[in-house]
Amino acid sequence: MTNRLTSLPQNIVQFCRYLRQHGFTVGIEEETMILQSLQQFDYTSAESFFLLLKMIICRSKSNLDDFDEHFRQYWKRLDKQLDAKTKATAKKKQPAPQAQFASLSAWLKGNQKKETEETASYSIRESLSQKDFSAVPDNEVAELMKCIRSLARRLAAKANRRYEGTNRINLPDLRQTLRKNLRRGGELIDIMHRRPKRNRVKLLMLCDVSKSMELYSAFLLQFMYAFQQVYQRMETFTFSTALQRLTPMLQQKHFGEALEWLSAGNEGWNSGTRIGESLHAFVNDYSHKLIDSKTIVIICSDGWDTGNIDLLKQSMRQIHTKAKKVIWLNPLAGYTAWRPEVAGMKAAMPFVDVFAGVYNIDSLRKLSKWI
Amino acid sequence: MFQLHDIQQMLHNQGYITDKSVAMSVFLSLQLNKPLLIEGPAGVGKTEIAKVMANALKTDLIRLQCYEGLDAAHALYEWNYQRQLLHLKMTEHDTHTIDEKERTIFSEPFLMKRPLLQAITHSQKPVLLIDEIDRSDEEFESFLLEVLSDWQITIPETGTIRATYIPQVILTGNRTRELSEALRRRCLYLYIDYPDFDKEWLIVKNKVPGIDAILSEQITRFMQELRKMKLEKTPGLAETIDWAMALSALHIDHLDKTIIEQTLGVVLKDWQDTRQVQLSIDELLAKTGVHTKIG
Repeated sequence: MTNRLTSLPQNIVQFCRYLRQHGFTVGIEEETMILQSLQQFDYTSAESFFLLLKMIICRSKSNLDDFDEHFRQYWKRLDKQLDAKTKATAKKKQPAPQAQFASLSAWLKGNQKKETEETASYSIRESLSQKDFSAVPDNEVAELMKCIRSLARRLAAKANRRYEGTNRINLPDLRQTLRKNLRRGGELIDIMHRRPKRNRVKLLMLCDVSKSMELYSAFLLQFMYAFQQVYQRMETFTFSTALQRLTPMLQQKHFGEALEWLSAGNEGWNSGTRIGESLHAFVNDYSHKLIDSKTIVIICSDGWDTGNIDLLKQSMRQIHTKAKKVIWLNPLAGYTAWRPEVAGMKAAMPFVDVFAGVYNIDSLRKLSKWI
Repeated sequence: MFQLHDIQQMLHNQGYITDKSVAMSVFLSLQLNKPLLIEGPAGVGKTEIAKVMANALKTDLIRLQCYEGLDAAHALYEWNYQRQLLHLKMTEHDTHTIDEKERTIFSEPFLMKRPLLQAITHSQKPVLLIDEIDRSDEEFESFLLEVLSDWQITIPETGTIRATYIPQVILTGNRTRELSEALRRRCLYLYIDYPDFDKEWLIVKNKVPGIDAILSEQITRFMQELRKMKLEKTPGLAETIDWAMALSALHIDHLDKTIIEQTLGVVLKDWQDTRQVQLSIDELLAKTGVHTKIG
């Protein structure tokens, strides 16, 4: 039976349900709003009717982008149904409908599945911030890089401004208050408060740029670069078969050149990994200068190691005792099936305070919890 | 009661050139009394809508500029602590009881109203602009949700203040952070993008009345091409207008390479962008089709 509805309100409600099936959050509230505003609105022009629906229903940019197509499809189909009804004999067989049409016809013919079942059948468009770095198409890389940059700057600014945790932030500072108000004859006009101590955390990042990390390291470096521009107390190293200090280059604000230099001049770029040796070199050459009890060490690596595991263990222990916190970011940890089974990873795990995945922008955003 | 074409007329009269979707959003927001959330890149006239609306409705614009770390105290109210102290000091020898004194110092003259409280207690229906909401913290966003739905504010010392008129709310954002679904659902949504050539040209001619016809067309074409480049900070409509005004004030009637090089600072605000554009000015000019035409 063709479920062709003749009244406008019914059609609108059905259209809303159709949109809901396609990932829009349209509730009863929106339906009421549409009907309400239609009452007081002269909707003789098709365009304003369309705009009215669009403006009430859409709640985000992606909604706006998708709406036109859905609207067109729905009402076009509805018109067809109307035609088919009036000249029922005109066509015996419709051409095989496309997938989208199929679901639409199902709708209009009334054999609707239950909504709970339907939710599984559509996929809300995956936003850029949820896309795995390794799966980013070329044409979106620039946009993603831009996102990473702005995120890094925000995180860094936040970390910059953070105060040390204390529960007496708003306590008045009696001594300061009396002193300040002495010139007014000791009348307490201005109250001075205890200022919390500024957060003086230092960050130290060690990024794996070996072959196995290829798809991620460019994004991670972009992140570090942007972060470093705002957050001064930060050191960056890369490693693969050998260790490389990157801080001076990143501070020169030429990311493109730094990246070029890295991939051209640096032997280690995109080669094998010797985490143990690299960390050992780091501990020997830099740790006494750069790591103290206020330093958070961030290591980005997938833990695939072709080098000395004992050396890795030993170096990790040394870093762990000296540093405030050790964070290990692993791009593979995004997959639920993943376990830290790799030998290198297994060896390092006991000395890691926070273990997390970095594989998309959302996961980078979570970094702010730990720094 | 407003009609759609009234709104369009109203926006137009205020010098705001726009398309139907903007007019429809403003119309619905007035009609349904719903906050309007406007997103889009910087410099496309998001904030301008609020100003135009306030002007057209002949009411006041109250603005709350959001920033990271903005908290309820800065958005709602604070007690004027110094004034309270001075008042107590001055009335030290009065015979008022402590109760009376307390009532005095916790009364309206000692209350410093911040934008949200101002909007709620305003003597007529104001336009409340909450600018760059995505810059504020998530905590503030949820706090805002509460105010936007209840339209009342409770001050412990004096009691609850209910809105005399529910303000017309405009929220703007640059999409630096995804706003919560809850906030989105409470608002109508509008996305304003960079204008296309025709619209931008019209706006330039409208905003800079004395401008040379050729110059305005060239500026607009150049800006349209500029936005296609991958820049750190893509210039918005505001930059176009600034540039047009600057060049017009210099009595320039057409663009050429030297003029662009000398005035590029009006349009680009990032040195890397400037360098990149300087290197490709010739190419841009060729695409723009700028030749010194006569007539």
